[in-house]
Amino acid sequence: MFYLKKITRELSGLKTIIFSVILLNLISVISLYSSLHQQGQFVGEALLNKQIIWIIIAWLIFIIFNYINYRLYYNLAFFIYAFSLILIGAVYFIGYEAMGAQRWLSLGGFTFQPSELAKIAIIIIMARFLSHPPANSFLKSFCLPFSFVGLSALIILKQPDLGTAILVALIAFTMGLFSKINKKYFIWILILVLIAAPFSWNMLKSYQQKRLTTFINPNIDPLGSGYTIIQSKIAIGSGQLFGKGFLAGTQNQFNFLPERHTDFIFTVIAEEWGFLGSLFILLLYWLIIKKIFDKLKKIRDPFAYYLTLGIGVYFFLHVFINIGMTLGVFPVVGLPLIFISYGGSHLISTFILLGIFFNISRNYR
Amino acid sequence: MKFNIKKSFYDNKSLPKLLKRIVLVAFIILLVVLFNYQAINGSYYLKRAENNYVRAIPLYSLRGSIFDRNGTVLARDQASFNLAVFPYQIKNEKDILFKKLSEEAGISEKIIHKNYEENISGYFSPTNIIFDVSKETALILKEKYPKSLLVNSAPQRKYLKPLELAHILGYVKKASSLQSQFKKYGYKPLERIGIYGIEQYYDSYLQGQDGGDLVEVDVSGNVVGFLGRKKPVSGNDIFLTIDSKIQKFAKNSFAKKRGSLILLESGSGKIIALYSSPSFDPNLFIAGDNLTSLYKNKFSPLFNRAIQGAFPIGSLIKPLLATAGLEEDKIEPETTFNCKGRLNLGNNIFRCSGSHGIQNLEQALAHSCNVYFYNLGLRLGPENISHWLKAFGLDSKTFIDIPYEKKGFVPTPKWKKEKFGQSWYSGDTLNLSIGQGYLHTTPLAITIAINAIANNGYLVEPTLLKKIGEEETSYLFKKSINISQKNINIVKNGLRKTVSKNSGTARMLKNLSLGICGKTGTAQTSGKSHGWFVGFFPYKNPKYTVSVFLEKGGSSYQALRVVYNFLSNLKQNNLIEVK
Repeated sequence: MFYLKKITRELSGLKTIIFSVILLNLISVISLYSSLHQQGQFVGEALLNKQIIWIIIAWLIFIIFNYINYRLYYNLAFFIYAFSLILIGAVYFIGYEAMGAQRWLSLGGFTFQPSELAKIAIIIIMARFLSHPPANSFLKSFCLPFSFVGLSALIILKQPDLGTAILVALIAFTMGLFSKINKKYFIWILILVLIAAPFSWNMLKSYQQKRLTTFINPNIDPLGSGYTIIQSKIAIGSGQLFGKGFLAGTQNQFNFLPERHTDFIFTVIAEEWGFLGSLFILLLYWLIIKKIFDKLKKIRDPFAYYLTLGIGVYFFLHVFINIGMTLGVFPVVGLPLIFISYGGSHLISTFILLGIFFNISRNYR
Repeated sequence: MKFNIKKSFYDNKSLPKLLKRIVLVAFIILLVVLFNYQAINGSYYLKRAENNYVRAIPLYSLRGSIFDRNGTVLARDQASFNLAVFPYQIKNEKDILFKKLSEEAGISEKIIHKNYEENISGYFSPTNIIFDVSKETALILKEKYPKSLLVNSAPQRKYLKPLELAHILGYVKKASSLQSQFKKYGYKPLERIGIYGIEQYYDSYLQGQDGGDLVEVDVSGNVVGFLGRKKPVSGNDIFLTIDSKIQKFAKNSFAKKRGSLILLESGSGKIIALYSSPSFDPNLFIAGDNLTSLYKNKFSPLFNRAIQGAFPIGSLIKPLLATAGLEEDKIEPETTFNCKGRLNLGNNIFRCSGSHGIQNLEQALAHSCNVYFYNLGLRLGPENISHWLKAFGLDSKTFIDIPYEKKGFVPTPKWKKEKFGQSWYSGDTLNLSIGQGYLHTTPLAITIAINAIANNGYLVEPTLLKKIGEEETSYLFKKSINISQKNINIVKNGLRKTVSKNSGTARMLKNLSLGICGKTGTAQTSGKSHGWFVGFFPYKNPKYTVSVFLEKGGSSYQALRVVYNFLSNLKQNNLIEVK
């Protein structure tokens, strides 16, 4: 009894997050069940079972990380970073390909994407860099941290995983922007990126270039990469205000949508539950992200502060870019919708970050 | 909203607020877009989703045609008619429909089911179930089953001179049969890829880009809306250096014999004819007929003897050896050896084809005297011989522009030691000196080597490509072997004498009056001998180099007969410049 009370006390203010995450888990299982139907038949029992196991594992991992003192990551920052580099590098040699991209490692039947770990490593190492008062030099305060980020992003881009590479860069960039680094530097870099953009175009794989051009005009390739966006829009739009109802999404049920249980899971939800459903999902994400940023006010340790900032930004960017992608607001870059999409890697890393945040929260109640 | 960076960060209350506002604004943007799709335009999308089916109708691109040097079509795409169904529309009546179709089109039900399973790619994509029916059948069936069937015309590769050009052109295969293998390289299931010959080597030029229409259709299959089109892009046409008329004579001169015939422009290496016998019909691969008899044929018709097989060359080595002897100063043109029909080496006897008496270089070439070249070989020694054979390119590829070319092999004492643990004996040198033993080359490689004598010491890189699309390929690659002009002329004279002299081994070709120089060869094998002839003409300023190889053809005499028939046909039909 006493123990339960203690936990309740420790979790004060965090109950909203737990409640929201549990709801998102439920929504995940329900919408995966629906998306794994074909012509009215449930065809993905194995995948669904696997995902339920992943969710359970993720919660266990969350509880573990909840008890690990976050200062440990400060000390291990470089080690974790190096480890993540080794893993994403290892993909080249022992990884295997899925859908034209080599980004998976296989461990005893379970595959995972090391680039997910890279996101966590970048948040930790950035938090460590930013927690020191910035030196008044461009090289030390700006170039040093961002060369770590750049190296990591470049290797990920080579896999090729454009989505994660951009995300890693964006998370680091946003964290830096809200730190005490001179803002001038960011403007320079922005200009530099704009100049370099045409050159980096050539570095992209042809399927990535295709995705970007069809994002600008999906009708260029209505049968190829434009297809997904067109179908996604039809599915979402046809859901109307209240949706077609559970298992009644025709676009979903008849194989119109590729990758609908992974990156395009939001489309399935929007088709079956309509605008109200979409609103509800966004509300849950908003509650989680709001609670994370609210915590910033109470934190007294710079490292914890930036760690929290990074975690919040991670959650936000994932949700914003993924949903924007299904709506045709962003190009299809291949990012999961956290907590909902099928897949273990991003689920685990999201829960690790959540665990880290909970540990910080318990230190700064 | 002001963010004061001078303040200590954790005292700053406005930063979290700013972050939250950004998130809020971003989410509101998403909600606005969602509201636009779902509430404002929801009924429009609902209509698109429920009442209409979206169909992707492929528009196939045409693969580039292949022409000969005069613009005669050798391979092109023709329309073939396929019948397709939309899996979603026939899901409840599939078995009944297939049964009926099988009766009416005269195709087994099994094949229809098999095609359906193989080609299905989505519930709303047309799936081909019957291939290559006549236009009439296609239209009759479409009229009977207007809702379920789609007539789908797809390009099909057609080879117009199949047997003559099979080894040069190769063929194409639907990537679907190789789907799993090629998926990672980005081939879509409907694409065709070149498998052999020019079709493979220049695949990326010949390959077009498929396009398609994305249309909306109502329940009866009528198109009610057009969503977008990707235009198909045709591949590039390719013009070859081959002359199909000459190629035809090349084929006809073989009848049932096995072997290869090559005719090329001496100076440029442009191949005018290249035929390997027996040949096959590449159209069989397009139709997907039963090919086991082709694969099981003991004479391997799929095998391009001109470039894929390495054989012993017999006396063809002699002009190369003569060049080596002159260049290494081991002999003078006037150096003579006395041929008594044999050469004794220890207990072994090495024979000659006749008892030629005293022979100088010219005579030895004209009579193909083994004894002369035994002696020359001993003077040169194995290292020198293999050095020169390699210089003539006998152990490397010619880099002709069709795939799967094989390299020849030139033995060396070092190789023999490593391979058999034995020293190189003088007997080995004698065998090598007359092109027997371990030496093997492809017919094309030895042709290019002897062509170097016609070509003042230059090895050309043979090519089949004249132009791609409208672009002429002025591609000429040649490599000098550094032989003095004087020595070339001496060897050339000897090669001329094989034809012009009444006792020359190739005197049969004399009355063609083409001014041919050349060398015959008979290479002993475990069974019947291989027959060879390689030559060039006209003597003064060689324009053409010709070679004939007869696998187990008996002797060089048979090869000479093929050459004679071939060249006299060309001459009669004015297909070659005689002057």
